[in-house]
Formats: sequence, structure tokens, C-alpha cells
Amino acid sequence: MKFLREFLSYTSSLPRLAIWAVGTFLFLGIFAPWLTPHDPNAQNLLQAHLGPSFAHWLGTDHVGRDTLSRLILSARTSVVGMTLVLVLALSVGVTIGTVAGYRRGWVEEGLMRIVDVGLAMPSLIVALAVIGIFGTGYWNMILALALAWWPGSARISRAVAVNVMNRPHIESLRVLGASPARIYFHHLLPATLGAVLVYATADAGAVALAIATLSFLGLGIQPPTPEWGQMLVDALPYLESSPRQVILPGLALTLAVIGFNLLGESIALNRVPTPLSRKILRQRRITAAAWKKA
Amino acid sequence: MLTLVSRRLRNSLVLLMLATLLCFTLVVSAPGNIAVLIAELRTPKATFADIHKIELELGLDQPIVTRYSHWLTGALQGNLGISYKTGEDIGPALSSRLPITATLVAGGATFAMLFSFVLGFAGALWPGRFADVATRTIALLGASMPSFFVGALLIYGLAVQLRLLPTFGSEGLSSWILPWITIGLLPAAVLSRVVRVGLEEAMSRPFALTAVAKGLTRRTILVRHALPNIAPTYINALGAQTGAMVVGAVVVEPLFALKGVADLFLSGVLFRDFMVVQACLLVFISFFVVLNLLVDIGMMFTDPKLRRQGS
Repeated sequence: MKFLREFLSYTSSLPRLAIWAVGTFLFLGIFAPWLTPHDPNAQNLLQAHLGPSFAHWLGTDHVGRDTLSRLILSARTSVVGMTLVLVLALSVGVTIGTVAGYRRGWVEEGLMRIVDVGLAMPSLIVALAVIGIFGTGYWNMILALALAWWPGSARISRAVAVNVMNRPHIESLRVLGASPARIYFHHLLPATLGAVLVYATADAGAVALAIATLSFLGLGIQPPTPEWGQMLVDALPYLESSPRQVILPGLALTLAVIGFNLLGESIALNRVPTPLSRKILRQRRITAAAWKKA
Repeated sequence: MLTLVSRRLRNSLVLLMLATLLCFTLVVSAPGNIAVLIAELRTPKATFADIHKIELELGLDQPIVTRYSHWLTGALQGNLGISYKTGEDIGPALSSRLPITATLVAGGATFAMLFSFVLGFAGALWPGRFADVATRTIALLGASMPSFFVGALLIYGLAVQLRLLPTFGSEGLSSWILPWITIGLLPAAVLSRVVRVGLEEAMSRPFALTAVAKGLTRRTILVRHALPNIAPTYINALGAQTGAMVVGAVVVEPLFALKGVADLFLSGVLFRDFMVVQACLLVFISFFVVLNLLVDIGMMFTDPKLRRQGS
């Protein structure tokens, strides 16, 4: 109960739009198969390019599939893909980052050089190259995105781990004779994981965007599984006659990503130490007052 | 200063070497025998002798270190190998496509810089008014909007509905406008936020208060006193956004049917044409390493604090 109240008071401090967008996205993603009014893959060429009606609330696409059902099921594709990528990328990144933060010296030096190379290259280019070598397919896409995303989480978790290792309680644990495994698994890993998960919120939107971009290029989710990027590229040849089929999936994707970005931004902003921001604000007020008179 | 530059140069070279190693490992670790793939592409009924001949031709029988050094020296001389799909040399194909991608990114960057200074200054001069709110909205929307959606909306609005511009091709200036806006819109918004927030931050420092007290005009304070202060931040952001635009080319080139480097890369990825993927990856990585080096040197020139660290 206490945990729930704390959670609610925390969410109320975040922008409401972000909560709604992310909440709807996750809800649709989890319950999609029970929410779709029609079979998302049932084609009916007699009902192609229909406008909104009571039977098809958002109309139908070029082969007569119900747009609303496809939009809803796409959320599931996105949520599942995003979760898999983040779980894979975070488990690799956090392991490497915490090991580097725990064992300073040449281990850290070597691991961080590898991370630097990974960070020097943009994620999408790396993901595309990996797909180019191993071929297209669902698991190859997940693997490629995870390979592209782990260096970021490795760097963050190393920074957090170094910070944790410098705290006095780790030192006293060493003095008390705690084994390295105990320090690592009981004290370092949980403390790092919490902080890194917070940062992962901001990454979630970027991963969803990357999945859609790969599907748009025909290299990610393969038909007939519905996906927003792929729905958009499918409808592009009919842009002139039915622009709705292009705009709706784009809008859905944008809303979901905006939610994650706002959430990540406000979490990052909450971390600014208050005395510092108050000082900056005061200085700004003084200059702004002079500014108006100038 | 000079020692600092040379140290950065050395770091970049090490990074580049590691990156080429990664490039090479990626192709070597590809599943399946490459020689079999090529043999099947050349003749539908390849025999074991054919496959063995191709293995010798590619030097697959040699140790891996020798193959890496061969590949690297070849790449330095512009010899990037032969496409498995089409059989043509990759070097000339790349250099013929480079101008298109360069025009796309350079045009987008110019658009972004012009846009960012105009709207950034407007936002700083009249906070909370149109320019300020517009750039903030575009920056937020743009970060969350896939560029293929932005491009589709622009095509629909400007080319389909208003019939102002052609939707694809690379002939004449008018066909470039849509790709430039598509690729440059988000960088423009981000950079104008950098200008706007940087100016506000600089104006809240004591030296700005002094300048106001001395009775200088708003324009003089902004241009002569505040603007040099945002130069390092701006160069850093411009570098990051140029990188983002090169990545954006992967989406924008197929959308507008431009035959650039990114398009070659994509076709290589689609047909699992390893040599093309490898060559394009090498070009992209070299570009990013050089870009980061240029940004760091540019920041050193504009930031006295960084300059003093070296001497």
C-alpha cells in the first residue's frame, strides 16, 4: 500500500500526457489480441480503401484489412520487440559496465575502449550492417538492435558503479571481510540496476523508433505481422487517394515515442539538485529584470 | 594547443583502426561460406572445383591476419573489392554516389544553420512568443517523429495537395527542396534550441548584467558578448546533428528515390552483399571519426578554457 502511494505521488509529478501515452501504449501492447474488433490479417478486396464506418472505425487499407485492428496489434509488436531489445542490451551493458566499475585498472581500460568504438558508430548504421551480414528476420533484428544499443547502457552503468564503489559502506564491507561476489551481487548490482533502469525509459522511445524505421526499410518486422513503420510504407503508394492510411500509423508511433521521451526528460530533470537550479533561476530573474529595461 | 590537437589525432587514428577491425570481423563472422554464395550467384550449377577456385581468388585459404592486412591496404588505395551481386567494382560505384549524399547532407545542414540562427535569435529576443514556442514544439515533435513520417507528410502537403514541388529525382534545385527540409527539420529545431537556451544562459551571467549597466544596446550585447559564448556548444551540437543527418539519409534516400551512398548500403544489406556492406560501413565509420575530430578541434579553437588545458 505504501509502495503504491509512493508510486502514485511519483507519477503525479510527471507530465500527464506522457503517462497517458505510455500507459495506453503498454495497455494496448499487453491486451492487443483481446481488443481488436476484427481479424487484423483478414483480407477482403471488396472492402478495400473504405472510409471510417461503424463496422471499420478507421477504415480499411488497400487489401481491405481493418486499420484499427492493425494499429492495435502493431502496439503489441512494438512493445514485445522493445522489451526484448532492452532486456538483451541492458543485460550485456550492465554486466560489462559493473565489471568495469568494480575492477578498475586494465580491465576497465580494455572494456571501455570497446565501448568507445561502439559509441563512435550510430546505432542504426550498426544495426543495418548486422542485418546485412546475418540476413533479415525477427530474431536477427532484435539481436542487431541489442548489439547497437548495449554500449550506451555500459557507459552509464560504469559511471554509476564507480560512484557506488566510492561510497563508504562498500569500504566498510571490505573491512568486515565480505567476499567480492557478495559485494558485487548484493550491493553493487542492485544499486546500479535501479539507476540504469531509469535511464532506459528514455531509450525505450528510440528503440521503438528504430524498430519502425527498420520495418519501413523492409528489414525489420516481416509481413503479415502488423507494424506501424511497415503499415506506413505499405500505404505510401496510395498517398494521394487515401492519406489516412499513411497518417494514422505515423501518428500512433509518434504519440508512443513522445510519451517515452517526455517521461525520460522529466525523470532526468528531477535529478537536477535543487540548490543549483534555484541559484541559476535567481540569476536569470535579476538579468531578466534588467533586460526589460534595456 | 598543438600537443592537444596531436593527442586528439592519435586517439582518432586508434579508434579508426579498431573500427576497421570491427568492420572486418563482422564480415568474417558471417554465417555460411562466402565462396559458395558467390559461386551460386555466378553459375546456378557450381561444382566443388568452382567453389575452390573462388576461395583461392578471394584468398580465403590464407591466415586471417594476412587477409585483414590485404583488405586494409586495398581499402586505403580505394580498392574495396567487387560486389557479389552485380560484379562491378565498389570503389567507382561509391565515388559516383558520394556527391548525391554530400549534396543532401550539406543542403540539410545549411538549411538547419540558417533556420537555427534566425529562429534562435527570435526566440531569445522575444521569449514565449511564436518563434520560441514553434522551435520548442518542433524540437519535441521532431525527436519523437520518425523521419519517414515527416517526409510522407511533407510530400502529401507540398507535392500532392499543393503541387509545388516534385516528389522524387535529383534534377534541378526544386527536386532537392523536399529532401533537404525532411533531413534538416529536426536538426534545425534542435540547433535553434541550442542558440536560444545558450543565449539565455549567457545573458544570465554577470558580464551580461555589466553590459546592460554600461548602457549597451540589446543587439550589441547579444551579438558581441553572448554569441561567442555559445560557439563551442553550437559546434558540438552541429557535429552531432550532421552525424544524425547522415544516418537520416538511410531513410530519406529511398523515400525520395535518390541514388546515394546510403541507398547503396541499403541494397547491400537487402541482398546480403557483404563487400558492399563492408565498404559502406567503412565509409560511414571514417566519416564519423573525422567528424568527431573536426568538432573537437573546432571546440578547442572557440573555447579558451579547452585551449589553455593543452599549453
